[in-house]
Amino acid sequence: MATLYPAKLEEILTLFEGLPETERREMLISFAENAGQHAPRDGEVYDLEDVRKDDECTDEVGVYLNVDDHGGVHFRVQLGPKVQTLTRAMTSVLCRGLEGSTLEEVQSVPQDFVPRIVGAELVRLRSQTVYYVLTRMKAACALYARRQVSN
Amino acid sequence: MAFYSLPPTTPSTPLLIIAVSNKRPGKWDDFAGDRGCPRLEVAMSAKFAAYANPEVLVDRAWLTEHLDDPGVRLVESNEDILLYDMGHLPNAVHIDWRRDLQHQTVRDYIDEAAFAEMCGKHGITPETTVVFYGDKSNWWACYAFWVFSLFGHQRLKVLDGGRDLWIAEGGPMTKDVPAFAKTNYPIPEKRRDDEIRAFFADTLAHSNRGLPLVDVRSLGEFRGDITHMPEYPQEGVLRGGHIPGAKSCPWKTAANDDDTFRSRAELEEIYEKGLGLKKDDDVVAYCRIGERSSHTWFVLTHLLGFQNVRNYDGSWTEWGNMVGVPVEKSAE
Repeated sequence: MATLYPAKLEEILTLFEGLPETERREMLISFAENAGQHAPRDGEVYDLEDVRKDDECTDEVGVYLNVDDHGGVHFRVQLGPKVQTLTRAMTSVLCRGLEGSTLEEVQSVPQDFVPRIVGAELVRLRSQTVYYVLTRMKAACALYARRQVSN
Repeated sequence: MAFYSLPPTTPSTPLLIIAVSNKRPGKWDDFAGDRGCPRLEVAMSAKFAAYANPEVLVDRAWLTEHLDDPGVRLVESNEDILLYDMGHLPNAVHIDWRRDLQHQTVRDYIDEAAFAEMCGKHGITPETTVVFYGDKSNWWACYAFWVFSLFGHQRLKVLDGGRDLWIAEGGPMTKDVPAFAKTNYPIPEKRRDDEIRAFFADTLAHSNRGLPLVDVRSLGEFRGDITHMPEYPQEGVLRGGHIPGAKSCPWKTAANDDDTFRSRAELEEIYEKGLGLKKDDDVVAYCRIGERSSHTWFVLTHLLGFQNVRNYDGSWTEWGNMVGVPVEKSAE
């Protein structure tokens, strides 16, 4: 049966859902600490770069997108130093979970997976934070797709 | 205890000796003063000494000496929900403003029994000196300080510069969560709502009488251009503007770029010369939900010595939604 989510994201969801609250927070911290691994690297060239500071986030966030010959997407995300821990964690989750997905798959990922990762309480308290990076990634994919059509 | 590496130490604040004892110079020493508060005995920074209540602030040097002091409980309070878990000062406990200080159903603070239980859980007694610090220039630390003040806890301090300055100066951090023996904190007789807290009716009467009101939100919020803080969620306010008669003075005006509080002279310039407030004024401060105005309440009450400052914690999310209340939209 096909799942709603890309396979790698589904794996992460399964990982989080089996955890009690304390371990879920520890896992979020671990993902947050590894967010730097998904930053852009020297020498890499990207198909699309979207760097901006939005009202919804406390610092600048840069989304860098590459689309390979098979249509698979690869994200790098640069986070400013004031970006909150939860946003860092979601960045790490999404860069791993959406790796290799198609543009269409990313744009159609339903947001309802977020509470399964961070828990309903954190979603309630920080709704914009937990959805922010996914929104930016979807926007980057949409923009890239539009450019491809116009070219 | 596991520490992770941090940047090298920078020189600490110069000290001014203001009294002499047989103890080592350059130290602080706490003991119960006339108000039942810890009192400065030996020395403090020149900056602190100028404040009305210098005992409410500590610096890195003082805290370094007291990290393992059983009479001191270090409390981290942040806006970033997961920041404590990323690392905190050794022996610091975490008090979250939403989870620990607020009633989980009614829009209100915890009651006296819940406060006693929370303190007991962290090994706090009425004699414990509680030192708050946190992110965002100690904004949430001041909020927790204010809530502890609501319940009459006397021995309260704030780490000047908060979490970020501590880290910038190379202070140790850890992920170890300390466990302290549970204490039996006596249930406070009452929450001091009538002393340092203003409710909607109080604030409306205050506005109608033309008494001093300080709006500590951003200028955009004050003008009514936006109904939420830049970078933050819209929390359901239907009208923009400010309470009639309020003067704008964003809370961050009281903080330096390194998150420390501005000097007394600078604060007097801002609040007394700039806003025209007098120390015996009856002042109400407000923001959106009472958190930023806790910072201003702390500054006016403890650093400048104002005697009658209340925090209107209903703030704009209450006022801006009330049917029929007056709203002003003047520029300043």
